[in-house]
Amino acid sequence: MCGFEFERTDTLCAHGCPLGSLCHLVRCPACEYEFPETPPTVSFVKRLLRRRLPTVVGLPPGVRTAAELKPGQRATVLCLGSTVTDRHRTLTVYGLGPDAEITLVQQQPACVIRIGETELALDTDIARDILVQPLDAAREPVETEPTPAASGV
Amino acid sequence: MQTTTEIPAAECSIVLVGNPNVGKSLLFRNLTRRYVTVSNYPGTTVELVRARASFNGVEQEVVDTPGLNDLSPRSDEARVTRGLLADNPMATVVQVADAKNLRRALLLTLQLVELQRPMVLVLNMYDELEARGGSVDVDRLSEILGVPVVATVAPRNEGTGDLVEALARARIPDRQILQIGPPTQVETVAGPQPQLGGAQDRLSKVNEIISETYAIDQPKNASFGVRLGFWAMHPVKGLAFLAAILLTVFWFVGLFGAGTMVDALEIAGFEQRLSPLAIRATDAVLPFPHQHVVQNVPYQLSLPVSPAHQLDIAEMDREVIRPPYTIPPDVRLTVSQKLLRLAHDFLVGPFGLITMALSYAFAIVLPIVTVFFFVFSILEDSGYFARMSIMLNRAFRVMGLNGKAVLPMILGLGCVTMATMTTRILQTRKERIVTTILLALAVPCSAQLGVLLALMAALSPGGALVWLVLMLGILLAVGWLSARVFPGETSEFILEIPPMRRPQIGNVLAKTGTRLDWYLREVIPVFVVGTAVLFLMDGLNLLTRISTWAEPLVSGWLGLPAEMSNAFLVGFMRRDFGAVYVLDAVSGPNPLLTPHQILVAMVTITLFMPCFATLLIIAREHGKRVALGMVAFIFPFALFVGGLLNHVGLWLQSI
Repeated sequence: MCGFEFERTDTLCAHGCPLGSLCHLVRCPACEYEFPETPPTVSFVKRLLRRRLPTVVGLPPGVRTAAELKPGQRATVLCLGSTVTDRHRTLTVYGLGPDAEITLVQQQPACVIRIGETELALDTDIARDILVQPLDAAREPVETEPTPAASGV
Repeated sequence: MQTTTEIPAAECSIVLVGNPNVGKSLLFRNLTRRYVTVSNYPGTTVELVRARASFNGVEQEVVDTPGLNDLSPRSDEARVTRGLLADNPMATVVQVADAKNLRRALLLTLQLVELQRPMVLVLNMYDELEARGGSVDVDRLSEILGVPVVATVAPRNEGTGDLVEALARARIPDRQILQIGPPTQVETVAGPQPQLGGAQDRLSKVNEIISETYAIDQPKNASFGVRLGFWAMHPVKGLAFLAAILLTVFWFVGLFGAGTMVDALEIAGFEQRLSPLAIRATDAVLPFPHQHVVQNVPYQLSLPVSPAHQLDIAEMDREVIRPPYTIPPDVRLTVSQKLLRLAHDFLVGPFGLITMALSYAFAIVLPIVTVFFFVFSILEDSGYFARMSIMLNRAFRVMGLNGKAVLPMILGLGCVTMATMTTRILQTRKERIVTTILLALAVPCSAQLGVLLALMAALSPGGALVWLVLMLGILLAVGWLSARVFPGETSEFILEIPPMRRPQIGNVLAKTGTRLDWYLREVIPVFVVGTAVLFLMDGLNLLTRISTWAEPLVSGWLGLPAEMSNAFLVGFMRRDFGAVYVLDAVSGPNPLLTPHQILVAMVTITLFMPCFATLLIIAREHGKRVALGMVAFIFPFALFVGGLLNHVGLWLQSI
């Protein structure tokens, strides 16, 4: 109700409640609102229709994801993001790694990045994880601070 | 896989290693004069290919390996290549590199250096690098790596001589290159310098080498090929491009191949000339009293414009004898005559080897498949498939696959068995199995597609549309469901896009030829065996018995005449074979089926497993359990959907 997310074990249930295991109500520890538990069939349907929620991360100024570049824009890769090591290896063998200079060719229907003479098509999800620093930063709105912090990400 | 134990270690061998799609197979052909399938799509070579050739007076064995980006044994290709190198410790490694993609090649070179084998580095596609205004300082690169470096242009067979000459100079590369930082002449007091650790270290080392040897000057104006490649993956223009390509393929394969070419071969070739000749010859050799039916067979040479319109060029009618015959009522055949009749029927009867098996194989299936493989090879060589993957990635995501599954799916329109083998290019088991199910279920192979198109001619355009929408719907729905049922992840979509190239006609023809050769070897025996089984069953009256037995299912549930159960029976031998059967029931003066029944039969047969060969290949690729599971799902599902369509159609007609 209030948007607070919690685990099943955190619910505020009174000990010795007469409803016992028959109770299917969940009470939010933040606003104390009681609501019925999601039945297993609904959660199965939800899983069936699952959608990945976009991850929103605050980025240091001047740093953006490869998915935010505009077609034709050049940038230096800061890090590949995500923890999928398999992906890191695959991207690195194509020459896409930290310090690589890339040009974004297009965003739709799949993200296409040029590294040297290699053109690589990627899922937008992967591009969203790659952090880059645009090279034509001079033409960008003035940033308040340089971005040394990002290189360690 | 063949072993190399019989070859003395001293003269074994040359191993071609390199990134995918750099022209290894073409170079292999230049070196050995033996053709292997060459394409402009990463990952076409999935097995080791071997051939012997003589270089500098010594006969050596050359092995072409699947393309790999990384030598760490993560992928099947790398494991295969590592195994091969371990088995042949004296082998010379010829690394084939795409000259314009030096960075990637050198990443692999550094891994190969660690193996400390005699090596030669080939910079292939050097012309494309020059066309883009780039150059590589070959001598400097050779000096840094400590191995001979040769520039070649494989499609034009340029530089092959230099390569052969360089093979004699192959050297074990300098280990110093593996050290971090600039190379030193003397080892420091503190001991050897630290070695390159992971991919990151290698990448920075490669960048160092590149800065010394590689120069590129981007031309101002993009060439036509580059612009075309760009349009082909543009969100809007790309869709128009895709539609245009699909329409062209449909015209070529569906209308020209399945129409003009099949007519020419089947009617003008077989029915008007070869069959009568075979019948006469058989009658002369195996005489027994009988009279063949004589019919007028009309043939019209025409060029298709649209599914409904065609340009008539010539017409030719011939009175010819046909396989059906009558025996005079007052004649009783002796035992020897009965034997002669049996042999006669086996050759030229209604289920005869020549009149049915060979005419179907050569006159109906062969022309369609030839045209399909020709068009497919052109598309493959042009580099369009990678762009198609980009355009269709989203749609394939719904089915738990990614754009890379485009190649097997499109190849499935040619031959599902062949396409099932190509599913190996997909990364995860889940993707391979889902693609295989979809191929076996809803992708009609070209032989079948031709027959289906001919059937569609007997339907209204609305009926054809229902079939198309139903097939696409089933493809998406079954894909979506099976992606959720099967555990495992879909791999990420990371695909290198090859440049658009003008297809080389020689290569396209050679590739079509190789595929056809494979196809004919696989298909002709199945056709012959299928016809022989039918002939036997017909002789033993089994066909009628099965018809009676299957009647409740075929007539009751599917609403088709009982004779159609034969079509389903042979449909399992080869899906297209069954469809040809349906086609026979539709054509002629008194068609056996109504349009509604045609649609039901078409849908059911399309959904059937393509052929026995596919089942065998599925069992080989994924194991018996998966194959049996697919059979258990596909056949009932096909019958279920067919019946459902029948009843819904009847219900719609009644209201």
